[in-house]
Amino acid sequence: MSTTASDNNELLKLEPVDKTFRMGEVAVEALRDVSLEVDKAEFLVMVGPSGSGKSTILNIIGGLDSPTAGRVWYCGRELSAFSAAELTRYRRDSVGFVFQFYNLVANLSARENVMVSTEISNDPMDVTEALGLVELEERMDHFPAQMSGGEQQRVAIARALAKNPDLLLCDEPTGALDFATGKRVLRLLVDLKQNLGKTVILITHNGAIAQIADRVIRLRSGQVVEIHANPQPVPPEEITW
Amino acid sequence: MSVLHRKLGRELKNAGGLLFAIVSIVAVGVACYVAMGSAYNNLNEAKRRYYRQCRMADFSIELKKVPLAELAPIAELPGVVEIRPRIDFHATVDLPDVAEPLNGLVLSLPDRRVQEPKKGPGLICAKHPPGRSGKLNLVPFSATIINDIVIRRGGYFTERRKNEVIVNEAFAARHKLVPGDWIHLVLNNRRQELFVVGTAISSEFVYMLGPGAIVPDPEHFGVFYLKQSYAEDVFDFDGAANRVLGRLAPAARDNPYLVLRRAEQLLSPYGVFSTTPLKDQASNNYLSQEIQGLRSFAFFMPTVFLAVAALVLNVLLNRLVEQQRTTVGTLKAMGYSNRQVFIHFLEFGLIVGLAGGLLGCALGYWMAEGMTIQYRRFFEFPELNNHFYPGLQLTGLVISVICAILGSLHGTRLVLKLKPAEAMRPKPPKQGGAVLLERITWLWQRLGSNWRMVLRSIIRNRVRTAVGVFAAAMGASVLVAGFMMADASNYLVDFQFKWILKSDIDLAFKDEHGEDALLEAARLPGVDRAEPTLNVGCTFYNGPYSKKGGITGLARGAKLTVPRDCDARPIRIPSAGLAMSRKLAEILHLQRGDLVTFRPTKGLRKEQRVPVVEISDSYLGTYVYTDIRYLSRLVGEQFAMTGVQLRTDRDPANLAALYGQLKKLPALEAVNTRADMIESLEKTLVDTMWVFIGLLVVFAGIVFFGSILNASLVSLAERQREVATLRVLGYGPWQIGSLLLRESMIVTLIGTAIGMPLGYLLAVGTSMAYDTEMFRFPVVAQTHTWVWTVMLAILFGLLAHLFVQRAIHRMDWLEALNAKE
Repeated sequence: MSTTASDNNELLKLEPVDKTFRMGEVAVEALRDVSLEVDKAEFLVMVGPSGSGKSTILNIIGGLDSPTAGRVWYCGRELSAFSAAELTRYRRDSVGFVFQFYNLVANLSARENVMVSTEISNDPMDVTEALGLVELEERMDHFPAQMSGGEQQRVAIARALAKNPDLLLCDEPTGALDFATGKRVLRLLVDLKQNLGKTVILITHNGAIAQIADRVIRLRSGQVVEIHANPQPVPPEEITW
Repeated sequence: MSVLHRKLGRELKNAGGLLFAIVSIVAVGVACYVAMGSAYNNLNEAKRRYYRQCRMADFSIELKKVPLAELAPIAELPGVVEIRPRIDFHATVDLPDVAEPLNGLVLSLPDRRVQEPKKGPGLICAKHPPGRSGKLNLVPFSATIINDIVIRRGGYFTERRKNEVIVNEAFAARHKLVPGDWIHLVLNNRRQELFVVGTAISSEFVYMLGPGAIVPDPEHFGVFYLKQSYAEDVFDFDGAANRVLGRLAPAARDNPYLVLRRAEQLLSPYGVFSTTPLKDQASNNYLSQEIQGLRSFAFFMPTVFLAVAALVLNVLLNRLVEQQRTTVGTLKAMGYSNRQVFIHFLEFGLIVGLAGGLLGCALGYWMAEGMTIQYRRFFEFPELNNHFYPGLQLTGLVISVICAILGSLHGTRLVLKLKPAEAMRPKPPKQGGAVLLERITWLWQRLGSNWRMVLRSIIRNRVRTAVGVFAAAMGASVLVAGFMMADASNYLVDFQFKWILKSDIDLAFKDEHGEDALLEAARLPGVDRAEPTLNVGCTFYNGPYSKKGGITGLARGAKLTVPRDCDARPIRIPSAGLAMSRKLAEILHLQRGDLVTFRPTKGLRKEQRVPVVEISDSYLGTYVYTDIRYLSRLVGEQFAMTGVQLRTDRDPANLAALYGQLKKLPALEAVNTRADMIESLEKTLVDTMWVFIGLLVVFAGIVFFGSILNASLVSLAERQREVATLRVLGYGPWQIGSLLLRESMIVTLIGTAIGMPLGYLLAVGTSMAYDTEMFRFPVVAQTHTWVWTVMLAILFGLLAHLFVQRAIHRMDWLEALNAKE
């Protein structure tokens, strides 16, 4: 496994990464020359239209997919050289995923959905505490079908959080939610970064959300077209879309 | 319990009826294995124990009469460890409460039981020199003689009377005979009164067949054991015997023929009628065949059911994994390893296997109990009980788990292939091109959109369709084979006892008689027609091939025995030459027109060379027919008969008078009443067959039901959105149900069409497996076999559809419409 000397504050680094999907006889270039560094406790938002490569980057960072070319580093270890078992370990210990459609297990209650995560973690949070962070202690025995979309997403965040990862990867976490609920979820994510020091990478096609980030990366057609720092992030309550 | 196990538990609960259907198929497979395996062990163990207990003879030689002193060379033959000479004769039994004379077999036993020696094993003194009396001392030194009896009630002979008898237990029970009763037997043309001292069974008569019977009928046939001294007196056999039983050294048991050939040569001056190795002994033959049959079925039946279960499980697991692809992706994204997710899904199959296995083991034990009870009706053992065989049960369980895991493996392996990122994306739509059938444009264009949907679905879901067709084919083949077995039983009874044998009563004489006996028989009350028969025991020879058997002489133009060919057409009784049964002709490698040599065991015993002019067919024995006068001449007589067949007017009063007179006839060896024989056949063979068929129908029903329910529910789950869309368009639940019904019916009927010839082949295979000299199973399929199979297939399909229809009614189609995928 390769390692590299890295800045103490650097969590992630992508060295020109390419990703090409083969769809039958056609090759689709999803990412081209994407380079990126992410610091610890940073709130990063990636914005771009559908097909811009946001989800592909997130999947590569999350160890769900591997780049066709280029290298990815996590805390000085080369993620792109990880074996399948190492990737599983990495996902288990270091990453929490939040999905657009929550991806809760339908026949498990809120508490049990969080337990799915804590049971495989080395250093899990207390399940009630995790659900308390998302203010769902009262509804922890409810099943997904008995909860609203916002509640389900909060359960998903609690599930991601419960195993105490350093990195939270959020794929359109507000995409399926109404405006008010969406903002509540964003507040939760910002608090996690501010209060618990988690690194949050959020992808969205909704440009307005970018205002809450420390840094914004704009993508188009698989390429990074702009990176800009946001010294004064706007609180989620103040944004509109 | 981990949370994934809770998830699994709820999935299993939600799968409900479907799971139950698959578990039932697995359970039936395991139950068949355990039941047949247990019954096999029960019978085999009981046989082994019983044969050892009674010291079952390895061979038996039937002869006219041999002085005991002449048997020393037989005892000295290499391989022979012990012999026992015996007197046995057929007799008629006169019971006061029974109108007709009954048949009996009378056997001699030593007057006293020999005490067990205090030391050492039960050595045999068969090779001891002749005693002071000049007779060979053939009493075994061990307490147990060859073909000994097991006393059930009362005791062994006493010294109080000469004329004591031990009666076979089944006959005694049927006629309520108990120790202390007196019975009358006609022994050597004299009516003798005998005192019953006990009832007994013997390993020689586990399957106790009377003359001409194929199922035990203790109502009309019994075995009677007499004191050796009394038998010697009553049959004028002082110091002589007419049967020699023997035991062989283990090395000689595999090939007893060498010993038997040599024994026959040595005993030829005393008129050897037959030499029979244990393998061919009637009771042992039937018992061994049943045990062997169980062994084959214990392999075949479970294979069918477990293969269907594995395939059905495969379809279900594929669907489960597909349905949960997002969950799979999420679990992997959260850090669950491939192995953990794989095992999680595999556990579904494992639980099905375990549940089916456990249920099957319990059901199998219960079925074995039932089978063992059934066997007690046919086979008489001192003890035939069902036992619990932990090894067999465990094997059943392991087989079911392995089969369920194999069935789940394909679906579960999809989990490994799914990359987490890919798993969380909606599945790309399936290929939706034109199906092959659409190229037949004239047909396709005539079909409505509903039929097109149905046919496309069938053709596109190839694996599911193939599994459905396979399951239906297996179900149908089991049904056809079962029904054909019933057809065969009925046909066999008709063929043998209605078409070949047409007489009402058959009489067998002890000795040969002239034409006056026929006239006397014709004058008996109520007799409309009497025809003579002459049975001549003989050995047939054709080059290197030889076979012991017999020839039956029939009157020219006989109407009461009508030999038939394989199409049941009557065969002319040849006035010269033989009409030989196909089985015997096969054994002797003879064809019509060939010459065969035979040496009779009676009369002049001169070898004769005669042509085989006809080949006849029958399912019992190896009969050879010819003209009675021709046969008489061949044995050096003008006219001889050993039996007579009667047709009566069936008037009850005349019949009673006829039986009354028959009881007084001393010359009779056996009396067979056709109606009794058919009744006992139907009571035992046919009734048991129906129980067996009932079980097969239930099992086949489970296969049909389970596979159809599974395929339809999986199809419904896959097409929720399509169904929801149809509901929006205004389709009612019954209309949607009809689409699924059409799908399942087409698959079921295709499978049934394939399964029916397979079932036929299975019946052919069974018939070949049961093809012996004594008994053959005809291959017969009546129209109702096919009709019933198709009707049952449709019925099971409709039954399964009721559950599918309920699922359609309960489906939340609005939610399905809004679902993400």
